[in-house]
Amino acid sequence: MSKIGVFVCHCGTNISSVVDVYKVAEAAAQMPGVSYAAEYKYMCSEPGQQMILDAIKEHGLNRIVIAACSPRMHETTFRKMLKKSKINEYLLEIANIREQDAWVHPPGEEATEKAIDLVRMAVAKVAKNEPLKSSLIPITKKALVVGGGIAGIQAALDIADAGHEVVLLEREPSIGGRMVMLDKTFPTLDCSACISTPKMVDVSAHPNIKLLTYAEVAAVKGYIGNFTVTIRQKAKYVNQDICTGCGICEDKCPKKVTSEFNKGLSDRPAIYKLFPQAVPAKPVIDRETCLMLQNGKCGICAKVCPVEGCIDYEAKDVEYDEDFGAVILATGYKLVDWGGMYDEYGAGRYPDVIDGLTFERLVNASGPTEGHIQRPSDGKEPKTVVIVKCVGSRDPKKGKPYCSRACCMYAAKHAHQILDKIHGARVFIFYIDVRTPGKNYEEFYDQTRKDGAVYVRGRVSRIYSDGEGLVCQGEDTLLNKQVRVKADLVVLETAMEPNEGAGELTGLFGASRDVNGWIQEAHPKLRPVETQVGGVFLAGACQGPKDIPDTVAQASAAAAKVIGLLNQDEMETSPMIAAIDESKCSGCGACEPICPYRAITLETIRSREGRFTNAERVIAKVNAGLCQGCGACTVACRTGAIDLLGFRNAQILTEVDALWQ
Amino acid sequence: MNKNEQQQKMRETAARLLDAGEAAYVIGFGETRFPEKTSILFAHNAEEADRFVWNDACVQSLAKYLLEDRFADYRVGIFARGCESRAINRMIKDNQFKRDHVHILGIPCEGVNAKRCASCAVHNPVVYDELLWDAVPEPNPETARFARAEAVEAMGPEERYAYWSDVYSRCIRCYACRQACPVCSCRECYVDMDRQGFQGKRHSVSDNQTFGVTRAFHVADRCIECGECERVCPMGLPILGQTQKIIKDITQLSGDYQAGMNAEDGNFLGAFDLDDKDDFM
Ligand SMILES: Cc1cc2nc3c(=O)[nH]c(=O)nc-3n(C[C@H](O)[C@H](O)[C@H](O)COP(=O)(O)OP(=O)(O)OC[C@H]3O[C@@H](n4cnc5c(N)ncnc54)[C@H](O)[C@@H]3O)c2cc1C
Ligand code: SF4
Ligand code: SF4
Repeated sequence: MSKIGVFVCHCGTNISSVVDVYKVAEAAAQMPGVSYAAEYKYMCSEPGQQMILDAIKEHGLNRIVIAACSPRMHETTFRKMLKKSKINEYLLEIANIREQDAWVHPPGEEATEKAIDLVRMAVAKVAKNEPLKSSLIPITKKALVVGGGIAGIQAALDIADAGHEVVLLEREPSIGGRMVMLDKTFPTLDCSACISTPKMVDVSAHPNIKLLTYAEVAAVKGYIGNFTVTIRQKAKYVNQDICTGCGICEDKCPKKVTSEFNKGLSDRPAIYKLFPQAVPAKPVIDRETCLMLQNGKCGICAKVCPVEGCIDYEAKDVEYDEDFGAVILATGYKLVDWGGMYDEYGAGRYPDVIDGLTFERLVNASGPTEGHIQRPSDGKEPKTVVIVKCVGSRDPKKGKPYCSRACCMYAAKHAHQILDKIHGARVFIFYIDVRTPGKNYEEFYDQTRKDGAVYVRGRVSRIYSDGEGLVCQGEDTLLNKQVRVKADLVVLETAMEPNEGAGELTGLFGASRDVNGWIQEAHPKLRPVETQVGGVFLAGACQGPKDIPDTVAQASAAAAKVIGLLNQDEMETSPMIAAIDESKCSGCGACEPICPYRAITLETIRSREGRFTNAERVIAKVNAGLCQGCGACTVACRTGAIDLLGFRNAQILTEVDALWQ
Repeated sequence: MNKNEQQQKMRETAARLLDAGEAAYVIGFGETRFPEKTSILFAHNAEEADRFVWNDACVQSLAKYLLEDRFADYRVGIFARGCESRAINRMIKDNQFKRDHVHILGIPCEGVNAKRCASCAVHNPVVYDELLWDAVPEPNPETARFARAEAVEAMGPEERYAYWSDVYSRCIRCYACRQACPVCSCRECYVDMDRQGFQGKRHSVSDNQTFGVTRAFHVADRCIECGECERVCPMGLPILGQTQKIIKDITQLSGDYQAGMNAEDGNFLGAFDLDDKDDFM
């Protein structure tokens, strides 16, 4: 016999100013199965909860309905409360009479009637609820951080400092990400390398961190607390254990290729370190360009290397499995290929139209020009520079619909750097808006204008060469006039987009991405560093454009989540997951590809099937660690063999039926 | 080869298969007392195999009978036209048995019955262990396949509603369509469950319609368009047309869609891809 208690909350006046809560409680008392109903000002408060617990004892209640705010707010609160009683915490239903009623309707009869309907539905459902038990799964106390930009570095250090093992995996030959390419960082203008390279060194020296560079994630199995990741270590051809990092090989290598790190402004050898302060400070051979590895002729590096047997052209990629309890994705961003998007800007034909990262290398003291701003075409110092913001950002037609967030600030930084380094220089910045919502950001922008940067409000419609030099043509929307600026150098502050391969990587972990390809957070406000996959977190620009302060903050937040997880020896799983009725499952597998978390696998079992006593047949199985209880599979199954515990089809239909009673 | 020679070939092949012990029995057509009707014949030996017939009365689909012995540890032989072969692919895709469980005797067929085979788009078996005679030309893909779906589409919403209401007011819920459908392979059909919540057992137009719509959706992306459902319907209801309307929509969304052409693809309605078209949103 169900003895249901219904508790109607005023939520201060949030609910009671619209809904007649007394009437709702009275009506609830009459509903089938209800033995007690009451109302109270704040159900979630200490005295509110005590009132419920007392009523449970006094009236021998065995199921509870709470008519209050959204279950997202306090379902867990009330479940915890029920742990203090004899009632299983899943014999609870929340009727949301706040968000779904009081907040969206005017006060009056109808709002009250709706509240009564919602309560009736919850009462009908709770009568059908069954007690559920969560299970415990063990946790591997080691974290994997994918991506060694500032986000990955910060997260790895935080987790390692808390005493847990971390593997930091980076696909480039060095960690550092985009930040080490930058010269100075807004708004403080401290040198990017000075603040990032010490952290890189900390990573390599930390006893709890294993650093893997030139490595990739090849496959992922498992679930929260229990991931098995197949790591592919690309062959470096240089024995990292004995190499002293002397750099002779780099000097002597006869093959020169364009340096990606210097954005094509200089060359690098085929055996190379990404940049002088690279971590690890040992070179790798780029097999795509190495003469020896490509056509077997050369071998100079092996000859000049002072360490016997250090260079090994026979080295092979190796793949191996490693277990982790938690994962942080920190794969960062890249800049869009603006040439393909903006033909009117010359589509890359003019060497002196460059993007922001190229400018960072140009102005960087450790860059190819040693920090002298020299334009790529002829090495001359530009006198007039045009900076164009939002190239590819905020442009749903040609580029990306979103704002790339850091560009307003680094455009101001670039203007400042030009005005600072080139005496008598003139800088024009074309902009749509200037957005500076960060600590000391507005002040920085103000200073740049005081320094003499000219802000022109409008988009640049065309960049062309008039024979003598570049001309930027655009509209000054404040003056309502077409303007033309002759420029020696044009810097396009282009949109950020998800890094190469971020999609595949996210897919391997079963996480999802938003419409623009950024990794999707579980909740934009309340769970910003989690993905929808348990145990997989995110940090930095892989989630969306971000500057360094936000990236680092997010990385530490993700690390805190990981530390919280790894501090436990085992964890409770939600019992509200899919359950398969094996007797009904025909093994058709319709459910398997539907599951976004790859929680379903098909397995062969043996059972008695009519006259075949030991028949082999296929059935679907749900992995309790992976299943997130989304319910997608339950609709795929034609025979209804899958049900979501806590949301069984029959329970939901009872709820719907109650609406018409 | 004419039909008589083909029949002879079928008998010989089945006899050879059974003699060699490669299958416990072979599923085919047999005679009845009525010349215009055939029965299903399960031949266990060469002698029985000599009773197989092949003529224009062979309208039933043989494939469904494979499900009877899907758990058997012996192999089963079966004659398969285009339609049966697609059904077999579908069964393999749905993990009802492994490919090796069946020995498929492919019999190309240009249609046995004008009504049943009107919308047939695949004459030749798409999977087989041996082909008993040469492949026949495939039908012109433009013809007929979606003729009935198009007729339904041509109606206005009200006319269409009246049409289906009329159809389902006549349904007697005997579930013969489900029984005959070679891709209905659930262990327990939802219509047979008690209190599953949404399918009323009453004999009312709305419950009949619920059944009709659910049936069509349950089979739509697996349906191999053999027309067995319609053929066995004692009330003569045009329900393949209903399923084909959904198949036609699938075809419009995804390009050509024919279930059971291989044992790997399928489950269009149960698949999700970020690149799916969503023009309707
Ligand atoms: C021109 C320019 C100037 C800027 N100036 C400033 C500034 O002055 N101040 C400021 O605060 N911000 C600035 N920013 C923003 C800053 O670059 C970012 O906030 C920051 O780099 C984000 O760090 P991250 O670690 O998230 O990503 P990234 O720096 O992109 O690092 C990601 C790392 O992950 C690795 N990776 C990617 N995919 C994989 C994979 N599949 N497997 C393994 N490893 C992988 C990459 O190789 C890379 O090392 C600027 C940006 C630009 C474009
Ligand atoms: S969809 Fe249903 S019948 Fe098919 S495998 Fe999944 S649970 Fe089993
Ligand atoms: S409810 Fe079903 S689809 Fe959703 S995660 Fe669980 S098994 Fe996968």
